[in-house]
Amino acid sequence: MDKIIIHAQKLQLSYKKGEPVIKNSSFSIHKNDFVFITGKSGSGKSTLIRSLYGELPLESGHLNVCGIDLKNISKQRLNVLRKHIGVIFQDYKLIKEWTVEKNVMLPLMIAGYSKNVCTMQAHKLLKHVKLLHKADKHPLELSGGEQQRIAIARALAHNPILILADEPTGNLDEYSSEVIWDLLKGAHQHLGTTIVIVTHKIPSTLGINYKHYFLDGGVINEVS
Amino acid sequence: MKSLKNHISVIIPLFILLFSFEFVLNLDRIVKNYEESLFDDYSIVIASMTTLNENSLKKEIPLVRKLQPLSTKKVIDKFKNDFSPANLALLRTSLPKFYSIKLKYPPDEKTLEEIERKLRAIPSITKVETFEKSYTKIYTILNFAKTISNIFTIFIFVISILLIFKQMEIWTLEHQERMYIMGLFGSPFWMKSAVLYKLVFIDSIISALGVGAIYYFVPKTEKFKQIMDSIGLSFGNVDFIDDMIILFSISIFITIFSVTLVILRQRTELK
Repeated sequence: MDKIIIHAQKLQLSYKKGEPVIKNSSFSIHKNDFVFITGKSGSGKSTLIRSLYGELPLESGHLNVCGIDLKNISKQRLNVLRKHIGVIFQDYKLIKEWTVEKNVMLPLMIAGYSKNVCTMQAHKLLKHVKLLHKADKHPLELSGGEQQRIAIARALAHNPILILADEPTGNLDEYSSEVIWDLLKGAHQHLGTTIVIVTHKIPSTLGINYKHYFLDGGVINEVS
Repeated sequence: MKSLKNHISVIIPLFILLFSFEFVLNLDRIVKNYEESLFDDYSIVIASMTTLNENSLKKEIPLVRKLQPLSTKKVIDKFKNDFSPANLALLRTSLPKFYSIKLKYPPDEKTLEEIERKLRAIPSITKVETFEKSYTKIYTILNFAKTISNIFTIFIFVISILLIFKQMEIWTLEHQERMYIMGLFGSPFWMKSAVLYKLVFIDSIISALGVGAIYYFVPKTEKFKQIMDSIGLSFGNVDFIDDMIILFSISIFITIFSVTLVILRQRTELK
């Protein structure tokens, strides 16, 4: 059996004590899985993904991501976890004062690589997402689709074990969305990265095997 | 342009704060110098029927630094043409011995009264002149000026700190998104905040150098020297390097303290 990357047991998450958004949910995600988590608006999809990269503390239960227990996790330990995962956001979360190249270099800089290595890796990834010619531009000079491609390049920069994506195509047109799905699919197939995507709609033409969880009433259920 | 405005918003209050501090420091030096020169000129004059011994006087009054005999030659010379040599010789022997007493440090009114009382208690001393009023009056004016400038500086200090804090808050808000994103990728605190520390470090150097330059060059101008000479004031010996180290240390301490406090406060709020 494949190694478990995410393991949740009786997980309960809430913004206000006593009003749980995710209730008593248990699930496991294995290495090299491609996972979709869907659900209605306000069902707690984003809440769940925020807890996976440690932005939202657990109310109760257990959550283990990449071998790190997230219950009462320290700031230092959280930084260690975040160095092993890549996150993609609906609103891209690119640093607008930085160039595209520097944005892609961010996880590598944090990991302590030399400037040369960071630049080389950033160029390789920018070439992969077909935006090398925009390396010196700033994020706000790019279209939404291009910004999300930069965000994917950044998420892949440090070869993470796991990529978490929160509505990665939520703000994009159909063409840009297809490009993003292809990139995520590529990372999964060629790099063996485990990918967890929160979305309201699974693309019909993905062409790979994936797991599907559905969030309903705060409970996560495996669909396929 | 925005970046320049951001820098100026920190440099100006910091500059004013350091300028005021250096002003107080220099005013203190001027006052001290003036006080010393006043004190050097100051002495208690006594008349005694017998010769006084410095050591025994020091035993009696420990504040005494020096006992200096005053010559009576000038007084006797005045009468040279009117008196016969025999009478002049008689005058010379009958005149009391005049002494000037220098003290170890400037006395306050009470100490001076105590010294005067002890001097009058010595049987051979017939006259004691302490020039009390003229000395204490100037001393009081100088201290008053010092106090006013200190109070003024405290106000400037408080206002400047508030302005610096405000600017740090603006900076932190401007950098908040970047710091948050860096945090999402596991960036440690020092790496997220490095830009802010770099900015305040640069501004601290600029402000300290600016203030240092003014206090270094202005006293060297002819006009300033003329004014200071005309009122009999001077800075005394000023070590420019020492002053620069003090200014830079204050500047760095204030800015780093403010930026750290603001970052920590915002970090707690974000949690």
